[in-house]
Amino acid sequence: MRDFLIKRTLEALAVIFAIAAITFFVLNIVPGDPVRVMLGEMADEATVQQVRHSMGLDKPVIEQFGTWLMNMLHGDFGTSYTQRKPVMDLLLNSLQYTARLAGWAYLFALVLGLVIGVLAAVHHNTWIDRTLMAISVAGISAPAFWVAVILQIIFALNLKWFPLAGVKKPMAFFLPTIALGVRYAASIARVTRTSMLEVLNQDYMRTAEAKGLARWTVILGHGFRNALIPIITIAGTQLGDIFTGSILIETIFNIPGIGSMLVTAINQRDLPLIEGGVMYIAVICVVVYLLVDILYAVVDPRIRLGGEASE
Amino acid sequence: MIENISRRGFVKAAGTVGAAAMLAACGGKSDNAGSGDAASTEETAAKKVLYFGQNNPKEGLDMQKSTNSGESAIADSVVESPLRWTEDNVLVTTFLSEIPTFEADGLTLPCEIKEGVMFHDGTPLTSADVKYSFERMFTPATAAKSTYMYDVLAGAAEMLAGEKDNLDDGITIEDDRHFTFHLATPMVTFVNNLGISYAHIFPKDACEKAGDQWGLGANFIGTGKYKIQSNDDTTEVVMVKNADYYDGEPALDELHYVFYDDPSTKMNAFIAGEIDWCDLDASLLEEYSNNPDTADKVVLYDTLGVMFIALNNASENLKDAKVRQALSMAIDRESILTNIMGGAGKVASGWLCPMTPGWDESAPDLPYDVAGAKKLLEEAGVTNLSLKCETRSSGSYVDIMTAVQGMWKEIGVTLDVQGVDAGIWSEDRTAGNIEVDCLGWFPLYADADNHMYTYFANTSSDTKSVFYHNDEANELLNSARAELDAAKRADLYKQADDIIIRRDMACIPLYWPKRSFVAQPYVVNAKCGNLIYHMIDVDVDPTHPDYPTDR
Repeated sequence: MRDFLIKRTLEALAVIFAIAAITFFVLNIVPGDPVRVMLGEMADEATVQQVRHSMGLDKPVIEQFGTWLMNMLHGDFGTSYTQRKPVMDLLLNSLQYTARLAGWAYLFALVLGLVIGVLAAVHHNTWIDRTLMAISVAGISAPAFWVAVILQIIFALNLKWFPLAGVKKPMAFFLPTIALGVRYAASIARVTRTSMLEVLNQDYMRTAEAKGLARWTVILGHGFRNALIPIITIAGTQLGDIFTGSILIETIFNIPGIGSMLVTAINQRDLPLIEGGVMYIAVICVVVYLLVDILYAVVDPRIRLGGEASE
Repeated sequence: MIENISRRGFVKAAGTVGAAAMLAACGGKSDNAGSGDAASTEETAAKKVLYFGQNNPKEGLDMQKSTNSGESAIADSVVESPLRWTEDNVLVTTFLSEIPTFEADGLTLPCEIKEGVMFHDGTPLTSADVKYSFERMFTPATAAKSTYMYDVLAGAAEMLAGEKDNLDDGITIEDDRHFTFHLATPMVTFVNNLGISYAHIFPKDACEKAGDQWGLGANFIGTGKYKIQSNDDTTEVVMVKNADYYDGEPALDELHYVFYDDPSTKMNAFIAGEIDWCDLDASLLEEYSNNPDTADKVVLYDTLGVMFIALNNASENLKDAKVRQALSMAIDRESILTNIMGGAGKVASGWLCPMTPGWDESAPDLPYDVAGAKKLLEEAGVTNLSLKCETRSSGSYVDIMTAVQGMWKEIGVTLDVQGVDAGIWSEDRTAGNIEVDCLGWFPLYADADNHMYTYFANTSSDTKSVFYHNDEANELLNSARAELDAAKRADLYKQADDIIIRRDMACIPLYWPKRSFVAQPYVVNAKCGNLIYHMIDVDVDPTHPDYPTDR
């Protein structure tokens, strides 16, 4: 386990470094002068050069990369060109909203998806199964932005039960949570159902029932636990997606999260902010996949890692 | 130690950490801003509160560092320039006793500050603050964006070049309330430029103390009607009235600027009653003009701008005025205006719009004549002309140029249209690499100088990728800059417009755009002069039946 953790952690660090290097160099190659965007078209060339010098943008790119990397290792992602605040502060400010939205949406998706999946599997080939699966197909098929707009029209504009947009009012995150989470809930439900169906037909399930255990104890204690591997796979990857893929929902519900921050940064050629945002996404994804790999090993004792696998 | 972690133990620990992280992520602050009790609801009902919705440019409120009209709208409620342009395009005083006039030399401009003008921190506004604000503007480290509008001040050029660190020659101080501007060369519109946001006067001590953070968060005070109560730079700016305002108590108790990234969400927020007033994106004008919930609340207003096709006059393809005239004649402006812009504008007959002094009332519409255009190309000896257009992918620019592409095809001209982002466009434009472009130019007040000098004077045209050099037109533009007589100035601009557009077609004007907003009926004096939504003269009527009392 220790060797596995060390190996996977080193791999994750290498991936993060590679992403950092690619991001930095690509952004410096892409046409579009950030200083010119920042100062506007009426700025004279002398001022542009002076600002470029003060920002260190006239140094060789490799030197800029070295400085950026060293600063980043010390938690300093630089200062936003346009907003004139430390990138870390801006990231953390946006993260509080994205984390709240993604956290709620993930919890919603996980609970709803698992409940629907287990219920559908237990009531296999009944009207309950068919109804729940029809709902989950609709959930997967419906684009998140469309669900968001429909929810806004029904529950905010017409019924006025929830705020239309923003982050300050009570229950402001209710509609965006559902809009973001419904698609993930549907995916989890379908995988859970399939996985549970395979497990429910196993001999050990019948054995457990024969021993006189309560039905739901058998289903949850023996069945669900053994069905977890595929569920962890999809739920794990979705955790990364949901924390990094909420741009549209943030825009529609006016949530100033990481997504909207990145879009503005890209439009303004705010390189430190773009780099910081990309690193956030990279770290989230790498950490989530690392955790999923570790969870495989933890949940299923048959999975042996590295040298242990042959035992 | 890691070796000793059991599988069950790991699961328990991970579960605990995960649950804690989830709670932390989802819980956060309750932010019960809107969940006041009955007492506070009554208090709100008694207050005059206005919610205005707009996008968030995220550039900060320091208008020396931003030219964004959204930032300007907010900043102008807090900080004042010596003068101000009203929504009806009239120049009025703010903290100056009267609108200053140049002495006979056309270079000396004495000014007097009203008595009792105080910043929000209780310190008096003095002549030293005025001088400090302009010195800050010309200090290279500030990286101010609009120095070109004031750099005729004596010593400004030297400051920008890093050769001087003060404006002692450009602004002299007689006492705390009297100071004098000294220009290096005559520029009549310098007085006009004192009425826009870029001439904001900051309190020296507070501004220096805030340093680079000036204009961010609540680090922003002035002499204006409203004071910033809170500003998270992200979701909302909340202001309260400056009860000590030197010119009488402001109308509103509270003023909220709420930020929306998505124009449709902003409009839905307006319909839901979460905001009282907001600008209406051109792409949504038709939809909301036909929506029964909003149709009677849509206001269309004239701007001072012009939407046009910029031509690189130095390009071998476009050097001949006959070619440029032919390109203009092949464009069906009415069709573009109707089909792409939803009719929000008026077909242009020249560069200057009807509200700008110098507009030629008698000038005929620019002709749409495909046969005439073909004939002009023949006369110019041009066949198989191929042009390249690079324009910003935002807004309607690409749509317009795609329509023009089809129209020019009718006269045998091939146009390659490329939509690019603002960064690439800005770099290529400054480098003079753009042959054909589509854009709008909106001067901040009704005067032709900023409008025409910028694009067509010999010294500035190259920076716009236009490269128009006509000594006759240049002489007219420079003479107009120094002409004190308003009627004569207008006549000079009328002549310049005739040469630059109707004779040389240096750029191709398409139409004079209109913009739109929606406002609830209880918003009093909801007006927009020219893209900037000023709240200075705005009020609300809390007795109106639609006025929300439960917000």
